[in-house]
Amino acid sequence: MKRFLGLRTYTLVYLAFLYLPVLLLPLFSFNDGTIVAFPIKGWTLKWYGQLGAQDTLVQALMNSLVVGGLAALLATSMGLFAARSYVRYRFRGKKVSEALVMLPLVVPGIIVASSMLVLFISLGLKPSLTAVILGHTFLALPFSVSIMKSAFDDFDVSLEEAAYDLGSGVFETFRRVTLPMVAPGIVASLLVSFTVSFDEFVLAFFLSGNEPTLPVYIWSQIRFPAKLPNTLALGSLLLLASVLLLVVAEFFRRRSTKSLV
Amino acid sequence: MTETNIIEMTGVQKRFGKFMAVNDLTLNLREGEFFSLLGPSGCGKTTALRMIAGFQEPTKGQISIDGQDMQGIAANQRPTNMVFQSYAIFPHLNVGNNVAYGLRNRGISKSEIDQRVADALEMVELDGLQSRGATELSGGQRQRVALARALIMRPKVLLLDEPLSALDKKLREQMQFEMRRLQRSLGITFVMVTHDQYEAMTMSDRIGVMFEGKLVQVDEPATLYAKPSNQDVASFIGEMNFLPAQVTDEKDGSLVISTPCFDGMKIEKNPNATTSGANILVGIRPEQLEIAVEKPDGYDATFQGIVSDVAFYGENVHYHVRVDGVEKPIAASVPNYFHTVDFRQGDTVWIGVHSASVIALRQDEK
Repeated sequence: MKRFLGLRTYTLVYLAFLYLPVLLLPLFSFNDGTIVAFPIKGWTLKWYGQLGAQDTLVQALMNSLVVGGLAALLATSMGLFAARSYVRYRFRGKKVSEALVMLPLVVPGIIVASSMLVLFISLGLKPSLTAVILGHTFLALPFSVSIMKSAFDDFDVSLEEAAYDLGSGVFETFRRVTLPMVAPGIVASLLVSFTVSFDEFVLAFFLSGNEPTLPVYIWSQIRFPAKLPNTLALGSLLLLASVLLLVVAEFFRRRSTKSLV
Repeated sequence: MTETNIIEMTGVQKRFGKFMAVNDLTLNLREGEFFSLLGPSGCGKTTALRMIAGFQEPTKGQISIDGQDMQGIAANQRPTNMVFQSYAIFPHLNVGNNVAYGLRNRGISKSEIDQRVADALEMVELDGLQSRGATELSGGQRQRVALARALIMRPKVLLLDEPLSALDKKLREQMQFEMRRLQRSLGITFVMVTHDQYEAMTMSDRIGVMFEGKLVQVDEPATLYAKPSNQDVASFIGEMNFLPAQVTDEKDGSLVISTPCFDGMKIEKNPNATTSGANILVGIRPEQLEIAVEKPDGYDATFQGIVSDVAFYGENVHYHVRVDGVEKPIAASVPNYFHTVDFRQGDTVWIGVHSASVIALRQDEK
């Protein structure tokens, strides 16, 4: 085992470098002082307590929930059908289409954001929550498609054929067999898409106009040192929510592949 | 068994791009028979079945079921139901709901559905398992559920796609008998696709043998075994020794042939094979050969050889015997009762053959 000691240290340092800064955020959100520096002056929950009283914050949270919810619904419903056709059928341009769907994962956010802004304005759509919803749907689609693809991968085609053979039409087969079979995948995709949207900053910053989502609101608050601890508290809650959502999503994603043996 | 045709396939062809999956298939299936489509994988038998089911449209030709042309009629409108190779049990539904699937949403009362589900499960000996989860079933139970789910629809034809291939040997043999019994008691036409010759022979009234998209021979199992129409069928169904033969004389019903093993034997013509010309091929089943130390009496031909291989099968012992002038060793299979003689590798033995055991086959071009 001695041979691997170097590698193990490297891994530990790597993980610490990656996650310790993230953990600092929640840590200082409990600090009884406005300056973000050691030593910690004392422990308090007051920064959390003050959050609910800030109307603009609550409004930003509502905006984020609406955007996240609608973007998740749009991305998942599109992902569901796209994934089914990718897994089931062979057609001209399939590879290209799959690559295009995955593109948002690698295109720099700032490029997407500025081009969408130009596009939307030229189409007459002013920066607004609607614009953010459309942008976030685009960003969440690759996640939704890959989750739904894994849900369809182990789905035996003859199940749909059997339903058809037993007298169901196309829609009844979808409702009585396909949909219940991929339901866990749908839940996972909804949760992941929602999280992608909920945490997204760049697109929201460009497209939200004067209706900020939560990350945009946090960014605007960072300029005010007195409000920094509040922002830290808010950020910590956001972090917690994201982690929880992803854990639940992973649970459903695993269930979706397991149940289909 | 009536002689009414329930399915008539005329000149049916299925092409996938350049690949001809089914080529000019003409086949009539009788009402109430157990019919098997037998052939090696990729011979087009499953495609043929899926065209009857309506999952695939023929490129050419016509399929009619119960006198009605099936062109343009989708799978969910056809009077057929299918048992899938994977069984396709809906994993999100319990046994009762799986079996009831095709009756739901069809305006049938709940009490009637419950009654028919109970009857169907009793028929496949799964009484009372309605609430069992689909994922808690054994392989054999899954097959029974798939059968019940299809039969509850009261199809005119039940289609079975390799229904036993997922089961282990013991269970497979048991299900062969049960499915046969079920088919007889229901009187529904069963069409089964299989690559297993024994399965096809034990279960079917008639078998259609397919090779490379073509239907080569349709006959009852015993006829198929005794009078195969060519070398492919003969070697696919059971084992067969092949010998090249020269026709020295031909009279109305018979041929006089000479082979490397024996000369001047008079054999019957095979009604299923065209054996024209001077050079033909004959086949002899291994179990119809006598193998002995002394020259055996009462045979139409005897010849000598040397044992090159012995394989003990339990109920039979298989010998391979090398004979001068014959390329492959002659296979002879001897039943194991009393176990009188025990030949060893290198022994010189006599082989006896009746002329009735020699089947004339067409000389293949290859």
